[in-house]
Amino acid sequence: MTVSANIGRTLSDDRRKMSDESFITLLVASVAVGLFLFASLLVPNFFQLLNMLNLVTNNWAVISLGIGVSFLLVSGNFDLSVGGIVALSGVLSVWFAQAIGGSNALSTGLGLPYWLAITCALGGALAIGALNALFVVKFRIPSIIVTLGTMMLARGVAQVVTQGSQRNTNLPDQFGVLGNMTMFDTSVKLPVVFMLVLLLIAIFIERKTVFGRLTYWIGANPIAASLSGIDKERHITYLYLFSSLIAGIVGILLASEFKSGYSNRGTLMEFDALVIALLGGVAIAGGFGSVVGMFFGAIILAIVTSAATGMVLSPDWQFILKAIAVFLAIVTQTWALARRNR
Amino acid sequence: MAQSTNISQASVSAGNQVAQFLKNYYIYFVLVGVIVVLSVANLDRYDLFERGNFLYDKNIINVLRISAPLLTLAGAFTLLMVSGYIDLSVGSAMSLSAVIYAMLAINGVPFLPAFALTVLAGVGMGLINGFLVVRLKITPVIATLITLSLYKGVALLLVQDGVSAIKSGGGLKMPVWFNSYGREAVWLGLPMAFWIAVAVTIALVVAQNRSLLGKYAAATGGNPTAAKLSGINTSKVVIWLYVLVGVSAALAGIARSSFMSLGDPLSGDGMELSAILVVLIGGTAFSGGEGRVLRSFIGALIIMALTIGMLTLVPAYYQTLVIGSALLAAAASNHLVSRKETTS
Amino acid sequence: MTDHNQSPVPSHVLAVNGLTKDYPGVRAVDNVSFSIQSGTVHCLVGENGAGKSTLVKMLTGALQPTSGSMSVNGSQYLPGNPQDARDGGIATLFQELHVVDELTVLENLTLGMERSRFGFLIKSKLEDRVVQTLYAIEPSINPSARVSTLSVAQKQIVEIARAASSGASVIIMDEPTAALSEREVERLFAVIRRLRDSAVTVVYISHKLEEIFQLGDAVTVLRDGKHIATKQLSDVAGRSELIEMMIGRSVFQDYSPRTNISDEKVLRAEGLTNSVLRDVSFHINRGEIVGFYGLVGAGKTEIARALFGADKVAGSIEFKGRPVGRSPKQAIAAGIALVPEERRTQGLFTNLSIRENIPVMNLRRLSNNGVFRASVEHDAAVDYVNRLNIATESIDKHTEKLSGGNQQKVVFAKCLFADADLLLLDEPTRGVDVGAKTEIYDIIRNLADDGNSVAIFSSELEEVLGICDRIFLLYSGSLEAEVINGTNVDAPHILNVVTGGHVGGVQ
Repeated sequence: MTVSANIGRTLSDDRRKMSDESFITLLVASVAVGLFLFASLLVPNFFQLLNMLNLVTNNWAVISLGIGVSFLLVSGNFDLSVGGIVALSGVLSVWFAQAIGGSNALSTGLGLPYWLAITCALGGALAIGALNALFVVKFRIPSIIVTLGTMMLARGVAQVVTQGSQRNTNLPDQFGVLGNMTMFDTSVKLPVVFMLVLLLIAIFIERKTVFGRLTYWIGANPIAASLSGIDKERHITYLYLFSSLIAGIVGILLASEFKSGYSNRGTLMEFDALVIALLGGVAIAGGFGSVVGMFFGAIILAIVTSAATGMVLSPDWQFILKAIAVFLAIVTQTWALARRNR
Repeated sequence: MAQSTNISQASVSAGNQVAQFLKNYYIYFVLVGVIVVLSVANLDRYDLFERGNFLYDKNIINVLRISAPLLTLAGAFTLLMVSGYIDLSVGSAMSLSAVIYAMLAINGVPFLPAFALTVLAGVGMGLINGFLVVRLKITPVIATLITLSLYKGVALLLVQDGVSAIKSGGGLKMPVWFNSYGREAVWLGLPMAFWIAVAVTIALVVAQNRSLLGKYAAATGGNPTAAKLSGINTSKVVIWLYVLVGVSAALAGIARSSFMSLGDPLSGDGMELSAILVVLIGGTAFSGGEGRVLRSFIGALIIMALTIGMLTLVPAYYQTLVIGSALLAAAASNHLVSRKETTS
Repeated sequence: MTDHNQSPVPSHVLAVNGLTKDYPGVRAVDNVSFSIQSGTVHCLVGENGAGKSTLVKMLTGALQPTSGSMSVNGSQYLPGNPQDARDGGIATLFQELHVVDELTVLENLTLGMERSRFGFLIKSKLEDRVVQTLYAIEPSINPSARVSTLSVAQKQIVEIARAASSGASVIIMDEPTAALSEREVERLFAVIRRLRDSAVTVVYISHKLEEIFQLGDAVTVLRDGKHIATKQLSDVAGRSELIEMMIGRSVFQDYSPRTNISDEKVLRAEGLTNSVLRDVSFHINRGEIVGFYGLVGAGKTEIARALFGADKVAGSIEFKGRPVGRSPKQAIAAGIALVPEERRTQGLFTNLSIRENIPVMNLRRLSNNGVFRASVEHDAAVDYVNRLNIATESIDKHTEKLSGGNQQKVVFAKCLFADADLLLLDEPTRGVDVGAKTEIYDIIRNLADDGNSVAIFSSELEEVLGICDRIFLLYSGSLEAEVINGTNVDAPHILNVVTGGHVGGVQ
């Protein structure tokens, strides 16, 4: 017990040591920067401010979805339903807002006022989130299977409503406003601002609130969390509802941007949201990861895929690049953490 | 807690016999039920079915021909889930196999070598999955999501830019045998692809009941510690099972590309969901240990009969909704059954 | 007392010689030598911490001895893993069952020993042999039944049959009756006797002394890691002699009666009953340290979890005059905190830091309208690290890297931060080194002196006698007796009660 004698002093000295999460986030961020510089060497005119901004603004939807997915992963649960929810809420918002009495079935909607239409569409999104929570929390079915099912369910409803294609006629004028509105006298659109605000709120919740900490505790050890008086069922239900709410908003914004409800919108977005979380160091086992890491994971994915879309490689490379990126991320992060904590 | 120990022997077996009977045979009742419903329903609205009768032989043949890929896949996927593992890459593996097989065929490689090389590719894909899961210890879900993306990417790369699939045209022509494997009747009006699916299923039923692999798969999924303490090399068992799934996916890809006469790099999309659905309907437990190859085969027949039969009742765009709902319903009922067992 | 035919010259099937196992700071097994005769039931007894389980782990290859040797049938035996042990003819029946529920009895019996050709199973004499073995020891089990349809007792018998048919000459059984009903125990004993008659040696470990007298031929007593005696049971003069050998001279001078216990009954429990507990009633006073002492499976953990709202239980529990809630959350809000039995899996967030572990049970103190007060967390961590003397260089150290004693102190800190009035401590010093143990006892006494109540659930007699003011003795789910601690406490009597002496044991 000699250590205890000078414990006060050593303790304060050591507060500056970085946490494992910050370490991984820094690692991911430096990989993102490195990749950007590397791509700049290969691709002419890649090294531009606009390009850097585009990496973020073009991916506002996936980054937004990644927030809900990351929180769930930290709590030890998958959410693969977000892509389906994007399609569902977009289609519903269009259908509800379309005027009554169009020329055919696909141009006839419910004629609700726009604000009511998007509220109801969000209700649809939340219903899927509630279904996820019910199956995962109450029935204790593995979340991967549940959310694969609800992904199809959500997209399936969207396909039925659009009869397998899309609805884009007979819409009120204000329908296209939200998705295309530019902000602060710049060319930055509302959805991008939405993503940035969401990101800041998420970082605040993760770092500064009890809610954020609860997520880590539940993911780190669900049994100990319950025995410490945490209502994990309720918390996971909230997380699924938040994730579906974000996906619902993304769906509505996308529908507004394109002024259409397309049943195949958001295809593979759930996959990309999972990929950026994994790239960003969020651990599948739960209890580890950060939203900032996920954000840099999204940058990495954006560089990799934008390099693929016509700059260096053919677009067909994107799936292979994603696979390799996730594989390398998991292997190196495991290795780096093991080395650091040796 | 351990289950209560003082229930008398007699009541255990009496209650269990009924439960066991239902568990073993309910799937056949479901199949019969689905066929009856589809036969009674008004089916003459679509040209897929003739004379408004689901049980008309041409319709049955049609359903079974289209079902060949899923029927091929169900058995191996069941064994893998019995061992407590999962493979989300089967759809991509199937697409890649379809593309490889079509490329070989269109470039003049004869049937047997093309077939063998494609199956070999399936072995390779299974080995990669097994390696990631067993050697690098990446969670099965993540490992096979990685290979899902990888195999799909390779399949897309193999197909030239600007073309959606490998098919006749541009000076190259698919050989005649390519299509006949999946369509032309060899026996009882059914094509080779279907009989291969049956053969694979029979082989796997025998393997499950009579081989070391079948038994060790159950032991690995049921009680991994006990399996290891009994000297079983569970890593080897799991790698073998991933290879089996890879081979089945390759055979499924061959069947699909042959039926469609082209090598489509997206043809297997969503197949992992169908496979999970089929296996769940067949009563396989998430937790491993439990599940029969034959029941999954029947489950695949049910799903295919339903999806195709449904086309006659509702428009095609209902399909995703129905499959998603079926998946959730199957998962929920599996949960209810297993909860009943543990609380009794 | 044994009526079977023994071979004329007793041969030693298993012998250990000068066996020693050192852990950092602790010598768990200290120069133990004894030998076991072939074809007997040899019992191994000793208090918790006497070194039984360490000894068994060395016999089964799970641990390697620091020094000393073992021999089986006269030849050197040094297993590197459980598989080696099985090859060497020593099989073990662990407390957790190692059968595959989804396979049939026969498939389980042959698991890992199958004959095959090209990967396919072939019929061999193996099946006949294992079925015969099973039939010989328990004819009522159908070899083609699925193991999931069997009771726990039957599954154990399947494991025993597998061990016997794999050619094991020694089968070690670690508390095999912990989860069995009386009737099943009888059946298991019949199986063990038949095994013995077929020249299999059984090493039988149990705390239930009457079982040892019913079943055993010889007994080896361990205490504090040392070998005390190996005797024929016919030479042992009843339970009292065995108990004396187990506890030796009383060394419980630690306890000094505490004066500031109030009469206020802070907790009352009436008629607690569930699958383990049978009509358990008691009360706890303010400022009191009570102990619940009993064997593994006697119901200690179940009482703790019931009081904490973690398990369902029939009966009534009142805390500070109000019924306690039905969830840990409500229990904590009412002022009850639990230090669970398994600190790594139930108590700690091992991949989080000390700082992040401590505040989890008291979110209200941490939250300022939902915002985390980092300074409160930091100050609390520094405070508890200093107060509980947690040996660490940083409050940001991951708790998985702490020693057992320091991990346990972090779990204590969690409960202290929760401002609980009643602390439930389930095996509070299990796997904790001696120094930390003393410190933990001091913490407990200080808490009680400050007016908190403490309930200790322990299977270590020394622990409850050293610190508790009042001790409840449990046996197989019921509260058998209550003992006021003091200088003239009758330790042998206590041991007699918790080993089943009240329920018709051999006295």
